[in-house]
Amino acid sequence: MRKRAHFFPSVPYLLALGLALLLLMPGTGWGEVLKVVQPNQALYPDPDFSDTPLATVPPGAEVNVVNQAGDWYKVQYQEKTGWINRQAFGRPQAARPKFNLPSLLFGTPVKQTSSDEVALAGKGFTPEVENSYRAQHPEMNFALVDRIETYKVAPARLQTFIKRGDLKP
Amino acid sequence: MRNLTWLVLLAAAPFLMGGCSTMAVAPVAAIAVKGATQAHQAARPISDSEEYYIGRAVAARILTKYKLEQNPELTMYVNEVGDAVARKSTRSNPFRGYHFAVLNTDEINAFACPGGIIFVTRGLIKTCKNEDQLAAVLAHEVSHVAHRDGINSISKARWTKVFTAMGKEAVSVYGGTTAASLVSLFEGSIDDVFQTIVVNGYSRQAEFAADAAAVKDLRRAGYDPTALVVVLNTMEAKGKGKTSGIFKTHPPTCERLSKAKALSCEAPPTKGEALRTQRFKEIVG
Repeated sequence: MRKRAHFFPSVPYLLALGLALLLLMPGTGWGEVLKVVQPNQALYPDPDFSDTPLATVPPGAEVNVVNQAGDWYKVQYQEKTGWINRQAFGRPQAARPKFNLPSLLFGTPVKQTSSDEVALAGKGFTPEVENSYRAQHPEMNFALVDRIETYKVAPARLQTFIKRGDLKP
Repeated sequence: MRNLTWLVLLAAAPFLMGGCSTMAVAPVAAIAVKGATQAHQAARPISDSEEYYIGRAVAARILTKYKLEQNPELTMYVNEVGDAVARKSTRSNPFRGYHFAVLNTDEINAFACPGGIIFVTRGLIKTCKNEDQLAAVLAHEVSHVAHRDGINSISKARWTKVFTAMGKEAVSVYGGTTAASLVSLFEGSIDDVFQTIVVNGYSRQAEFAADAAAVKDLRRAGYDPTALVVVLNTMEAKGKGKTSGIFKTHPPTCERLSKAKALSCEAPPTKGEALRTQRFKEIVG
């Protein structure tokens, strides 16, 4: 009897320990597949933009996350492993957990309506704001700005330019 | 041990409560989430994407004042030189990358729009005698983007109003209609940046910091770091008696020159300068 009394108090302890471990788990869903949504993204050998890219990663490409360090994700893409910045995924901050603890505990997703509403209002200057501004200012030539944004040197061409100019790689 | 166990469970209670927001406490939780989000928004700086949209509008406004150079060979070359130094910047990959464009004017000037669009005039390109000097000009402008000098010129009072507008549900974007107040604040922000980069210029401190960063980036890229000093010397000679354009918006060139000299005088000579000068002359003339 005394032995049983000693056993039962350890149940909440184990529950608490398990819960604490769940809460302390890393936020990134390692093994998670993320889709690149931004143009002009590249895979780097290290989490450093000044490195020579291993490959370009076009919008729509899917990468497998194997690790995360701050704003950088170590990913696998087309049999290459390298680092890609969070901005490629259009994520405003570090990756969200692979699982949602409340839904894990209660079996239903958390209602998002109100927070989505706030998120919309909280985005500030967005494409919608630009569109309204453009409608009020037809004299502004945004088509030229769009054209300027197509000015882009392909990574291979830039590497050739650097090499021929005897610049540092 | 028992007390510790219940303490841990008590500490975990808020997380468990979060999972209940779909149930009876949903409205309360929503209000709490909204309040917390607004408080967070009020504390945040301008995001990279917001900077990008302001930069696009500033660029559009600059293009109402100047014509865009249409020479694709020159444009590509300027982008190659610009990318060669930008990749060594402390901010080498802004939200949608750097894009360099040439303005078809004899005026000697350059503008760094927030977010990464950089304009350089044909007049300033012709002031440069070689690729390293052009790289120095572009490295200086890249540094303004890296230091967020343009976006920092938006008045704090205006950005506070943006937060206020963002906090009101009335300004939410629904069905393609955007509240006029947010658009008005967007326009005001564009005015602030335009006034700074085109009319009044950055602070002296910002200019000196951009020069210092440019010298570092030139050295890291393999360009001659003393090229900035040479360009400033040329501008000093050309700017005597002039009070418009770049000579109005930048601190006295002699002042920048002495600081830039101090930063770059110990630089070792760079290789390949002759090769780079040759390709510069082939394209720029």
